[in-house]
Amino acid sequence: MALEILAYRCKKCGELHYPLRMVCKKCGKNAPHEFDTVPLPKRGKLLTFTTVHNLPPDFDVAKLTLGIVELENGLRITGQLKIPSPKIGMPVAGKVEVVREADYSKNYGMVFYPA
Amino acid sequence: MREVYVAGIGITSFTRLEYPLSEIAAYPAMLAMKDAGLSKVDHVYVANMGSGRLNHQSGLASAVVDSLSLTPAGAETIENGPASGASAIKQGFMAVASGLHDVVLVTGAERLREVNNLEATDCVATLTHPLAEYIYGVTLPSLAAMFTRLYMQKYGVTERHLAMVAVKNHDNALLNFYAHLHEKVTIEGILDSPEAMTNNPYVAEPLRFFDCCPVSDGGACVILVSAEVAKKLGKPLIRLAGVGQATDTHCVHERAEPTDLLAVRGAAAQAFKMAGVTPGDVDVAELHDAFTILEIVESEEVGFFKKGEGHLALERGETRLDGRLPINTSGGLKAKGHPVGATGVGQAHEIVLQLRGEAEKRQVKDARIGFTCNFGGFGNNVVCLVFKRED
Repeated sequence: MALEILAYRCKKCGELHYPLRMVCKKCGKNAPHEFDTVPLPKRGKLLTFTTVHNLPPDFDVAKLTLGIVELENGLRITGQLKIPSPKIGMPVAGKVEVVREADYSKNYGMVFYPA
Repeated sequence: MREVYVAGIGITSFTRLEYPLSEIAAYPAMLAMKDAGLSKVDHVYVANMGSGRLNHQSGLASAVVDSLSLTPAGAETIENGPASGASAIKQGFMAVASGLHDVVLVTGAERLREVNNLEATDCVATLTHPLAEYIYGVTLPSLAAMFTRLYMQKYGVTERHLAMVAVKNHDNALLNFYAHLHEKVTIEGILDSPEAMTNNPYVAEPLRFFDCCPVSDGGACVILVSAEVAKKLGKPLIRLAGVGQATDTHCVHERAEPTDLLAVRGAAAQAFKMAGVTPGDVDVAELHDAFTILEIVESEEVGFFKKGEGHLALERGETRLDGRLPINTSGGLKAKGHPVGATGVGQAHEIVLQLRGEAEKRQVKDARIGFTCNFGGFGNNVVCLVFKRED
């Protein structure tokens, strides 16, 4: 089964959110479990990025590239980039992979590659 | 609402401090009480972000109020990330303005250097969204870096502009005994010379070492009082005339226009409205330059300059100590230092010094209206204050 990152669609007005919030940002519908989940698209274009040289202790690498991607449906996501020389606006494609391991637990998130 | 005045101020050096956190909070409080000529207070607010995580201490305010022998006065710890300091001042303002208390002591303290710099950065990074940002290794420098890249592309800000902020604030800090970094830097040394990449390596591209604030310990205190008390004390009458606060999305990627800092805009507008002044009336300002880009952008969002033109005002020297509107006369977070919970109180301390005319070599002539912007998260929780000299 392919791993997915989920977006949350308001059952009342259809507004999509990522990440999950408790109350819809658009219509203010205030009731528990009022969101349907839909997988986030994996393709989009790179909005901005940085290569970080000063990482938290959990990361056993010298540097890591992070970025914000505007996905095909207009939602944005923050993720890691495995792209040698990223450019603003370039098309990218994501995979769900382990992004952080801490205290014997694995955190999965979106990692983007050149599309 | 009653009027609220600043009766006393105190500060520690912002640096690496080798004494316990509760003392870092208590020492500036003692200085402020001496400054005000007060031996009793009605209430204590302690601003701090990391005590539970970094210093294995909770309930800091209870320790501080007792250490100061001010029991049974009420005491609370205020945690609002890097905006904890101004948030605590806002709580103090509300307590005096409402008539609940006449004398409120607000002290901010942080001891980040108990851990190493990577752990300190990680502690601050816990402000980010746990599932949508933090797990990827997102830190405050990386959010600032991604923001800077967009700002450079959209408004023509360059690495040179960022370096100019660092040079200016390091120059100011040389005139501030309490500043963390007493180190003159030049554009040549951090940008142009062959050694620049060694002197000033990238932390999170395009931000370099000298674009980021140091990891500081430190404490700062202000005492807020009612008009009746202030007039009895005989100190210069500095009124806390405006407070404003606004929030923005937790995740930076959810902001409609990622180069806007709407919480800064909103908080500043509220503070100016309450004080009955405009950004053009301000004589001296302390902005939250945890990263050099933030001084430029906040100077636009609070209304000093048009959006996208802050770096041009910087180029013209308008924000220098001898400019039209000196910004970060203390050295700012960049060079004075950033002991997270103490930072907002430290900003207020500098403005009160300036308005009293006690800022010595960095005194802004005839300063009567001062402004602070204390920026929490990556702009998701911002508190702005306006101070006025009234006598």
